[in-house]
Amino acid sequence: MVLILFGGLFSGFVQDTKEGDRLLGVWEPSNGRARVKVEKIGTKYYGKIVWLKEPTDPETKQPKTDKNNPDPGLRNVPLKGYRMLKDFVYKGKDEWADGTIYDPLNGSTYSCTIKMTDENTLEIRGYIGVSALGRTDIWKRLVVKK
Amino acid sequence: MMLKRYSVLITRTWCAALLALSCTSLHAQVDTTAGAADDEDYGQYDNVGFADDGAKRFCSPKIEGLSPAKLISVGYDYQMGYQMIADSLRSQSPFAPWGNFNPDTGEVAYSHGLRLACNIPVVSKTSLVWQLGANYWEQQYEFKDGNSLSNPMLTALRDNGLRTMGINTTVFKPLNDKQFLLFQGSADMSGDFQLSKLMPARYLKYSVAAIWGKRPTERKQWGIGVSRTYRVGELNYIPIVLFNWTDASNKWGTEILFPARAHVRRTINSRNMVFAGYELEGQSYRLYRNNDPSANFDMRREDLEIRRGEIRLRLVYEFSLKGFVWMSVQAGYRINYRYDVDRLTDGAEIYRGFGLVSDAPYVMVNQLTNPLYFNISLNLVSP
Repeated sequence: MVLILFGGLFSGFVQDTKEGDRLLGVWEPSNGRARVKVEKIGTKYYGKIVWLKEPTDPETKQPKTDKNNPDPGLRNVPLKGYRMLKDFVYKGKDEWADGTIYDPLNGSTYSCTIKMTDENTLEIRGYIGVSALGRTDIWKRLVVKK
Repeated sequence: MMLKRYSVLITRTWCAALLALSCTSLHAQVDTTAGAADDEDYGQYDNVGFADDGAKRFCSPKIEGLSPAKLISVGYDYQMGYQMIADSLRSQSPFAPWGNFNPDTGEVAYSHGLRLACNIPVVSKTSLVWQLGANYWEQQYEFKDGNSLSNPMLTALRDNGLRTMGINTTVFKPLNDKQFLLFQGSADMSGDFQLSKLMPARYLKYSVAAIWGKRPTERKQWGIGVSRTYRVGELNYIPIVLFNWTDASNKWGTEILFPARAHVRRTINSRNMVFAGYELEGQSYRLYRNNDPSANFDMRREDLEIRRGEIRLRLVYEFSLKGFVWMSVQAGYRINYRYDVDRLTDGAEIYRGFGLVSDAPYVMVNQLTNPLYFNISLNLVSP
């Protein structure tokens, strides 16, 4: 009986993991300003900036850093490699939640949910407090050309 | 059956807890500076393509550096002292045996009022943004010599003040990654009515605007369109120009919807912005309440509307108080453009077209001197 229970649990867990891992890969927000690689650390999903349309700060002529971060100690952190999506958990039904999205343009962090509408399209909704006070962006999956 | 489900749930929870514990060291505190020292080959991401060939990009309603949109706003507006020189009623009223009341000058000590607004996204997708909003503005007039006023317009302002309540909607429809359409519409009830006794719907004022625009870069959007507006008090159909721009350094920009408003923006940082410019404000206010039932002059039967329009030259400082709560502080000079009165029988609109379409006379031509004004608001801003 216990074995059957464990077996059922394990197969369910594997299935959830497999479905959740569909988020892994490289994605582009609708504005085309950045490319974000989603990775998995433990059971959670994170997205880091791997490409910037304008990688150089026009003022400093140096690679862009997180200069709008409210924490002065983090303003020299390079934007390339920055984890702008954090702590997402797969909830089933093509949805990842409990995470946050960071907007380097204004230094704000928003609550966020991710909905996969098809294998190559994400609806990313950042919001303040309640989902109604938010904005949805469409991200498209990219493939790296060899 | 219930027991079995419960057992599965307990076991799942227990296993998940074990798994979580085993992973804690991996993700308890994920370092955001991953890129600083990771071994990612970033060069490979220069050469990519969409996995889905049919993918289409749409332009965003915003540009880089634009001041954040206000979802909820609670504000207070204060105008310092000025004179209101009220005219006599220039044409005989069919209901007013004493329609030829005398001109009168009122010394306004100050005028002030609450300004509430909300603008909530209903649909917020890359391919369509649709927002619904509501607003409530009031203007109360405090006269120095209130008891000695005789002109019915001045006594109506003294006793009732003016209010505007309305609903509005905005639709942003991107056509592709460079072009967009923008529609705005509003229905406003404006007058000296009581909140407990609103005016009939036939007195609502409808404003609309439609813009076709382009967003050639992340830092520039412009558009041209037409609008039906009451911003100078009376109805007008006018062309409009949108021009939002941010310079390469992100320090300077413009936020323009001409002729309604135009500002130059100086961005101190992403949470502190200063604006210099002007806004054209106004509406057509129906004198609806009969504030002197003992008199034979019943305002409700006169069909009188104050055509109020003003230009506000101003400096604005907007900053983040905490997170998404921003404060806006304004100081400026209020220039009276029009404060004249029309008679609109049964709400039938008069369209003058700046005198080109009609030269119908106003029934009162009033003069206002120009004061300094101040405005402060707390705002919840949009992502």
